Amino acid sequence: MTPLSLHNYLIVGAALFALGAIGFLTRRNLIIMFLCAEMMLQGVALNLVAFSRSWGNMQGQAFTLFVVTVAACEAAIALALFLVLFRYRRSLDVSLWQDLREPDQEATVDDESLPEAPKEEPMPRLTPAGHEPKRPQETSPV
Amino acid sequence: MLPDLWLIPALPLAAAAITAFLGPRYLRQQSHWPCIIAIALSCVLSLFVWNGVAGMGEEQVAVGQYYSWFRAGTVDIGFSLRADALTAAMLVTVTFVGSWIAVFAVGYMSHEREHNAGYARFFAAVALFIFSMTGLVLADNYIVLYAFWEGVGLCSYLLVGFWFAKPSAAAAARKAFLVTRLGDVGFFIGIMLLWSSFQVPTASGGWSLEFDGVFGHAKQVAATNPGLVATICLLLLCGAVGKSAQFPLYVWLPDAMEGPTPVSALIHAATMVTAGVYLIARSMPLFHLVPGVLLTVACIGAFTALLAALIALTQTDLKRVLAYSTISQIGYMFLALGSANEASLVAAAVIAGMFHLITHAFFKALLFLAAGSVMHSMGNVIDMRRFSGLRFALPTTHWTFLCGALALAAIPPTAGFWSKDEILGVTLHASHSDVPGAWLYVWLFAVGLITAGLTAFYTFRAYFLTFHGELKTPPEAGEHVHESPGVMLWPLRVLAVGALFLGLILGPTHILAHFLEVHWFARSFPGLHAPEGGHDIVLMVASSLVGLSGVAVAWWMYVRSPGLAGQLANRVQTLYQLSLNKFYVDEFYHALLVTPMNMLARVGRVFDTYVVDSLVDLVGHIPRLGGQLLRPIQNGLVQFYALAMMLGMTVFLGALVLRMVR
Repeated sequence: MTPLSLHNYLIVGAALFALGAIGFLTRRNLIIMFLCAEMMLQGVALNLVAFSRSWGNMQGQAFTLFVVTVAACEAAIALALFLVLFRYRRSLDVSLWQDLREPDQEATVDDESLPEAPKEEPMPRLTPAGHEPKRPQETSPV
Repeated sequence: MLPDLWLIPALPLAAAAITAFLGPRYLRQQSHWPCIIAIALSCVLSLFVWNGVAGMGEEQVAVGQYYSWFRAGTVDIGFSLRADALTAAMLVTVTFVGSWIAVFAVGYMSHEREHNAGYARFFAAVALFIFSMTGLVLADNYIVLYAFWEGVGLCSYLLVGFWFAKPSAAAAARKAFLVTRLGDVGFFIGIMLLWSSFQVPTASGGWSLEFDGVFGHAKQVAATNPGLVATICLLLLCGAVGKSAQFPLYVWLPDAMEGPTPVSALIHAATMVTAGVYLIARSMPLFHLVPGVLLTVACIGAFTALLAALIALTQTDLKRVLAYSTISQIGYMFLALGSANEASLVAAAVIAGMFHLITHAFFKALLFLAAGSVMHSMGNVIDMRRFSGLRFALPTTHWTFLCGALALAAIPPTAGFWSKDEILGVTLHASHSDVPGAWLYVWLFAVGLITAGLTAFYTFRAYFLTFHGELKTPPEAGEHVHESPGVMLWPLRVLAVGALFLGLILGPTHILAHFLEVHWFARSFPGLHAPEGGHDIVLMVASSLVGLSGVAVAWWMYVRSPGLAGQLANRVQTLYQLSLNKFYVDEFYHALLVTPMNMLARVGRVFDTYVVDSLVDLVGHIPRLGGQLLRPIQNGLVQFYALAMMLGMTVFLGALVLRMVR
């Protein structure tokens, strides 16, 4: 079994990067955008590993370990931030956050409205445990 | 034993700083104390200086060289003070009169005491003025003298404009500052000429402008280049004319009466306006080399004396009468100094001028303070047509004003008589010299004598109008007219004693003459001998007769038959109007100088707003325009930014790849 040559890895890395970039530019859901950014990052990381293996130099792999660690930290922080943003607007649409534009610029409004989100099924709820269940009022027989 | 000279200006300076910084918040209604204490201490020190100078040898002078102020190229200006007889006489006068005026101001400014900041500001400025004035007379070179010279100008501006919310006071302050500045420019050019042409070497290898060095070189320079010395003297005269309110730059002084009355007494009568006289007296070793300039000095003095006296005849504002009389009396001092056209007359001329300066400081300060006391009682009304017959309502003010009026009218044996007599005497002597143009001094003497009569007339006109006749008070004075408080009356009494007896003490006894001869003249004019001055009995009788007749005419016209003045005014309506309107000099200046300057200023303003400003605005608009173009890019959309980044990167990498491929 011959080892795969370098450009195979590079093609996969480039594909990952391109998919991530396209997703980042086209999707408006904050979490999806974030995942796309992660994908671009992994494409780059794959490049590093591939080159590292090809040249027999361990630096690229060490670098990649750091990239993965940092990405994990980012994920934690980014998700916390998204949670806060969601609480303000009850939505994850990125175009709702345009406040850092020039003061006299009009807000950009999308002509096409977003597709209606599917109606969410209410979550099934369990009855709270540890409480005394409500009972009908006892009536004393006279 | 001489005290440290620097203490004399330093004490009032410290008082000014303390009052300015602590006055409004901590001293409040007690803000006058630092000022009064400091001036009084300076006065005591000045008396020690007088005593110390009197104890020195003939050619000695006390010089305090403190530090090198600045060095630029070959100039080496040290901050140095000196004390000789001229300085000592000026110092004692300034600080003595100044301390009593400061005491008077406590009472006069009592309305101001409620507004703490104004009260403290007043006394801070007065202390600063005394600092500048004592520094001016102590200065040992022309540059230090000039610095203090501007200092007194500044204090005058601050104090004339003390009630700056009043438009007339603000305008008067500005006028005083600008008109004197006109003279100061000449003065400064004169100093520069002195520096460039005299080249007096100092120990450190530079050139200085120290009096001794300059005067030592004067004869040598005058021998090679007499025109240069004449130019320098004329330029110095320019400064003196501006500061001492002489023709043609006298117009600021009557307007300066807008300031509080103690300021008029201190700055615009007793001390600052005599700085010009002091300057000429100090520079006499230069002036006496050019008799032509001295003749100019004398002519300016005599003409100013006559002109101001003629204007004073018809003024109805008591303070303005006194202001014109100040101009007139300083004219006398200039006349005296200008009479030094012969070497043998130099000592007598300067002694006469300085003597009149000292006595004038006393009696004019007294008159102003008494006028201030009248003003205080009359609810700030100073127009003599609105009050009269105050002699029983304000007894102390009346008596002290009378003392001052007698001295100003030169009635023997008051102070003014002795000093004015010396001036007329020295003018008469000058006409006997064989210098070209000496015959003119006879006419100047005649002008002086006529002016003496006019002085007596207008002084007593003011006195009779104010204090005699029926009791009449303006409604502003209130129901019950009351005499001023003691804090205002005691300075009046002290100065009245001075006005009456100072001439008798200093004049016939030759105390001042001897003091100046030994401790100033002998050093400034080595080799010259001052002849023993005597009093001309005929002249004394003549001048006192002129003075008495002036008083008598005033009495006749304003007490005996009060209608006479009005009839006379109607008879010579043209002359009366001329005098009343101050010979239209102000209007003349306004048309000739002020209006064109205003036009120029207006043109400049138009040019500034429409040409200079629009150019500047244009430069400011260019970045704004660029910003306008680039602004849509900043739309706040994260994905737009990401797209821009990506496109930019693509372009950059594309270019890179293309370059590598090629």
